[in-house]
Amino acid sequence: MLIRPTVHDLRIIGFYLGRVFTIVAVAGLLPLTWATLGREWNPFGSFLLMIGVFAAIGALLIRICPGAERLDWSHGMVVVAVTWLVVPLIGAIPFALSGHYGSLLDAYFDAMSGLSTTGLSLVQDLDHLAPSLNFWRHLLHFLGGQGIVIAALVLFAGGGALTLYYGEARDDRVLPSVRSTARFIWAVALLHLVAGVLALGLAAWFVLGFTWERSLFHGLMIFFAGFDTGGFTPQSTSIGYYHSAWFELVAAVLMVAGAMSFGVHFALWWGGRKKLLANLETRTIVATFLVTMALTLFGLAAIGAYSNVAGLSRQGVFQILSAHTGTGFATVGPSELATWGGLAFGGLALAMALGGMASSTAGGVKALRVGLTVKAVANDVRDVLLPERAVVDQSYFQYQRHWLTSDLAKAAMTVSLLYVALFLIGAGVGMAYGVPLQDALFESVSAGASVGLSVGVTQPLMPTVLKLTYITQMWLGRLEFIAVFVLIGFLWSAVRGK
Amino acid sequence: MKRRIAAIGILGAFLSVISVGMAFAAEVTVADLIESPTAYAGQTVTVQGELIGDYGFRGNGFMWTQLDDDRYAESPVVEGGPLTGGNLGIGIQMPADLGEGLSPPGGYRLAGPIVRVTGVFKYHSQDRQGETYLDVEALEVVTEGRRIEEHPLPFVVVLGALLVLVAFWLHWSHRSPAALP
Repeated sequence: MLIRPTVHDLRIIGFYLGRVFTIVAVAGLLPLTWATLGREWNPFGSFLLMIGVFAAIGALLIRICPGAERLDWSHGMVVVAVTWLVVPLIGAIPFALSGHYGSLLDAYFDAMSGLSTTGLSLVQDLDHLAPSLNFWRHLLHFLGGQGIVIAALVLFAGGGALTLYYGEARDDRVLPSVRSTARFIWAVALLHLVAGVLALGLAAWFVLGFTWERSLFHGLMIFFAGFDTGGFTPQSTSIGYYHSAWFELVAAVLMVAGAMSFGVHFALWWGGRKKLLANLETRTIVATFLVTMALTLFGLAAIGAYSNVAGLSRQGVFQILSAHTGTGFATVGPSELATWGGLAFGGLALAMALGGMASSTAGGVKALRVGLTVKAVANDVRDVLLPERAVVDQSYFQYQRHWLTSDLAKAAMTVSLLYVALFLIGAGVGMAYGVPLQDALFESVSAGASVGLSVGVTQPLMPTVLKLTYITQMWLGRLEFIAVFVLIGFLWSAVRGK
Repeated sequence: MKRRIAAIGILGAFLSVISVGMAFAAEVTVADLIESPTAYAGQTVTVQGELIGDYGFRGNGFMWTQLDDDRYAESPVVEGGPLTGGNLGIGIQMPADLGEGLSPPGGYRLAGPIVRVTGVFKYHSQDRQGETYLDVEALEVVTEGRRIEEHPLPFVVVLGALLVLVAFWLHWSHRSPAALP
């Protein structure tokens, strides 16, 4: 029997939503300050309005839903799912008022893409966009990548942290408590922020010859987008704008760091490096990266895209790294990417779909699920082939030895299949609007796996239904389904429950 | 004397070949280069557009920047220009001396100089590990860059400030014991 949510349930959810909105309002002070310092008065007004809306709604929710009671599992999931729907909506206000978007939906699309660290964009005349607005686009990557709800956990004590943490698609607890883990995640991010901006800024200054102010600006933007595997860039030609192998190399290091789980970061900082090499997840991601890279490079060689090995390697490897980490930076334009047919297309699409490590900022199925699925299938095959009395080792190593139970294997396979379904549905909608199969599939995988590489389907004039489809894919893909399904169940219970 | 005459003759022939090449450079748009890159690969082409983003003087005698030839080059969105889709740009490399003295590149509230550049279209360049760009040999400034005025939105500022005040009042009155029932 479905139980209708009570006013008490709504109050708990409202209270935590109020807290999260208040945190985002505080985060909005950063672009507001930027706009003030840069005397960008129109963006200043739009940021003030956005902060006002976040703060007013947040304060109102805390006022009418008083009392920090412990969240249960479903409350936490609903908070996360609603947060990830509403924050981009209010966060889109500065975009919508900038005049650079064709509609509110386009602005919402970009805000969702930013927050979900996807990187697909419907912005127009990006090259004349105000720096503070560009900063907000990229800051959304940072907030979404690190987890805005996790930010709330760091700043506010309170019950129910675990459910919020899992709701944002994280399942690595590197420290005993969720709150200390959340603090560790933000500490890692802030340390990388300093090092990353410095490295990129120096590369832009010394190698590219930019002014120091612009070097810092580009360094900051590319850091946010690279480390949080987002994919936005401050100029219209993506990372290809820089025309520098050195700059791409620094960006690539950050992309890899972003695609690593925080468990790996923890192990790299506090020992346990040897265990990393034995981890199922590490081995899986290395294997899938090598396979997809080989496919892509063979494919590019087969179509004769590049006349020398240096070109093939630099362009091919960067694109596959961008796809596999879920970043979405591109050194080739969408129209050229669309010509990468056959094996190159297969390798790139597969890399996007597989994604990075669990509990990282990358999207996609994730290496741990792929590894568990492959291991479970291999175990089943062994079970059939070996004599009945033979015992098949049902364990796997991930920092320590775990049992690969049928429940765990089922959970990994279920989420993997959900991703496949998500990719196929998105591709189907694209095809219904006349997009060729290959392009429709590529764009759908890119949206669903939070990547952001595009073959040109995503553009301001694409049909509204397709925009809505990609927005939904970005939302579902980033939250890895569960929080969204709980929200749907919660709404269903409100309608049909007793 | 003979050597000097021969050298002048060779130089003259070289310059005339270059100038003939320039004169016959195909007038193209960035869209043409993006849509049919192989058709123009290695050819000398002329493109007109706005210099945008940054001027990167790399210390090796070359300067890099981006040239956009979309509608925004003439009428940016900040100035109230119509929305016509994404930007259309291509990276350009030119001898540093060509880039000296140019007005600042386009950006926010800044229309970059409109230039006509002639150079070789490098598609998947072997020298630069597969990059695609325009190797510019000649540049002519058509229009100097200019500042763009933006129309202020006072209503948005007032509304935003009011909402922030409301939020503060809600928080403050919530915490104040006097406000509690």
